[in-house]
Amino acid sequence: MNPDRRRLIISAAGVATGGMATARLLPEEMLLRDRRPRRSRVAIIAAQEYSESLEGVLVSGLQEFHLNLHGRSVLLKPNLVEYIAGAEVNTNPVLVSAAIQAFLKLGADSVVVGEGPGHQRDTYLVLAQSGLAGQLRSQKISFVDLNRDDLFKVPTRATYTGLAHLWLPGTVLNSDIVVSMPKIKTHHWAGVTLSMKNMFGVVPGTKYGWPKNVLHWKGIHRSILDICATAPVHFVIADGIVAMEGNGPLHGTHRHLGKIVLADDPVAADFTCARLMGLDPYRVWHLARAAQFLGNGSHDRIDLIAEGLPLRTKPFDVLPEFASLQTRV
Amino acid sequence: MERPQQTDIGLALSALHGTLIANQKASGTWGYRGNQDSVESTCFAILALRQHASLKLARATHALLSLQNADGSWPAFTGDEPEGCWTTALAVLCLMGTGQATKHWASGVRWLLDARGREANWLWRWKLRTFDNKVQFDPARFGWSWVSGTTSWVIPTAFALIALQQARPRGYDNTAQLTERVDIGARMLLDRMCPSGGWNSGNGVAFGVALAPHIDATSIALLAVIAHEKEEKVQRSLHWLVTRLPGCPSPYSLAWGVLAIAAYRRICPEARESLRDRAEELMRLTEDAASIEDSCTLAVSALALEAVNGDSVFEVRTA
Repeated sequence: MNPDRRRLIISAAGVATGGMATARLLPEEMLLRDRRPRRSRVAIIAAQEYSESLEGVLVSGLQEFHLNLHGRSVLLKPNLVEYIAGAEVNTNPVLVSAAIQAFLKLGADSVVVGEGPGHQRDTYLVLAQSGLAGQLRSQKISFVDLNRDDLFKVPTRATYTGLAHLWLPGTVLNSDIVVSMPKIKTHHWAGVTLSMKNMFGVVPGTKYGWPKNVLHWKGIHRSILDICATAPVHFVIADGIVAMEGNGPLHGTHRHLGKIVLADDPVAADFTCARLMGLDPYRVWHLARAAQFLGNGSHDRIDLIAEGLPLRTKPFDVLPEFASLQTRV
Repeated sequence: MERPQQTDIGLALSALHGTLIANQKASGTWGYRGNQDSVESTCFAILALRQHASLKLARATHALLSLQNADGSWPAFTGDEPEGCWTTALAVLCLMGTGQATKHWASGVRWLLDARGREANWLWRWKLRTFDNKVQFDPARFGWSWVSGTTSWVIPTAFALIALQQARPRGYDNTAQLTERVDIGARMLLDRMCPSGGWNSGNGVAFGVALAPHIDATSIALLAVIAHEKEEKVQRSLHWLVTRLPGCPSPYSLAWGVLAIAAYRRICPEARESLRDRAEELMRLTEDAASIEDSCTLAVSALALEAVNGDSVFEVRTA
């Protein structure tokens, strides 16, 4: 058992015996079914630039996970926020393109790309300006605007927002494998935006607004936990070749990290990405809680199957209110 | 020459109308691209086809009315919770634009007059002024939210303002409250403009950084504040739009841009001069109408081309 969880369980055990009324005083994660895998696998892979060689890099990396892709439908969910000329805001289209080819090469029956941007209502405009529309056209790959997909009511599988259910796009629910493809960035409200925060993009603007303001009022961290507990996330390919530090997710500065992170557990992926950023994942509210019921955060439950974490990392610059996230060099 | 050839626009409209008619569901509604009914797509499609002979208008309107909530509001889609949301302004505009169901749109107007962004409450206003000041705006100026119980945002506020201003000359009698809401809502939009002109989704400055305007938000906001056409801020936003619009690759944003510059062409030479070229760009982007999956984009594009011909369902009469 994870030491964090054990500590919480012991300290809460006396209270828990007090019955339902008392149970409400427990942290939510104590009341949720432990869905963490026994172990999680994460591959940190060096990649210095966005180039055609990424396809081969991803094929080799994905093979290490022995995913059963044959006959499966794959949804790639990149982070497409907004186009700002010269800024690396979105998951790079070259990486998305490489992921499409890699999944098809490894036997996937179909690959589609989907996203529902938070603030920009014209999804196609971001798609076109980012260069991804052209890439997808040349690869004959469909794009689904998740803000305007057919919606289905799904009971939430966590209790952080108090929402009994979430409306989720059919494309997300009907895909065999959902791949979160975040850009590794700092975030001015959440501290970091990684594979879990990236799943905000599957929540439809039609229902929740542009931005998805209902969820902001419920709390961004809380919403991330409910979304990731409810919507399927099977795999992560994180774009850390050029990351963003400072005032992310839009107006930060580039940070060349030179890494792609692959993982079969979004929590483990985000813990690893945060560590690569020189930030303490346990100090990120939603990550600390996710590691108690949704996925693995502790080193002893994550198998790093490619590179290891660097011994020393210059922490990413963050806004002053997130200074406590930075680990000492 | 102010306009593209009428025949060109006619042909383009015909193709857009044809695709929209083909996309209408058996229930009378439209979706975005899938099977689910969307109130936004249905409203814009009805407006785009309101003068088309083959539209099964009664069926479409009946379907829209059947979605209305008991409190006068509309949901976002079939099966949505009956809480009412941003689509209410669109349904009101649609019913007014087609001259139908006065009682229904009047109850929608009443809902709009009661709906307000969360910052309208004094407690939240105090909190936003005192603690939550990373995003710069004046919470005393509020408008409409996407969803009840949240703060005001540019596009839902602009849609509500257009609907309320169009309701006024149609004899809606609650004029004092209506005038006050229109005034506060317009002041909210002017307050939340981006420093360079134009509008982002909600605010002009966040975390000390000036935000970049969006074409659709700017266009819809300009349609809503046309009564303030002489204000420098509005002129600056119009200039931003006219400058930014050429080469826009997306028909949805370009169509909203055309609607806005068509509305301002009488008072702004810059808008008048650019209208023809932008309309031609829009016709090029929508040339293969059948390949555009989103009914909303098809409908807004058709409405934009109609506006080039001088018939805009979004224009607000100024005094």
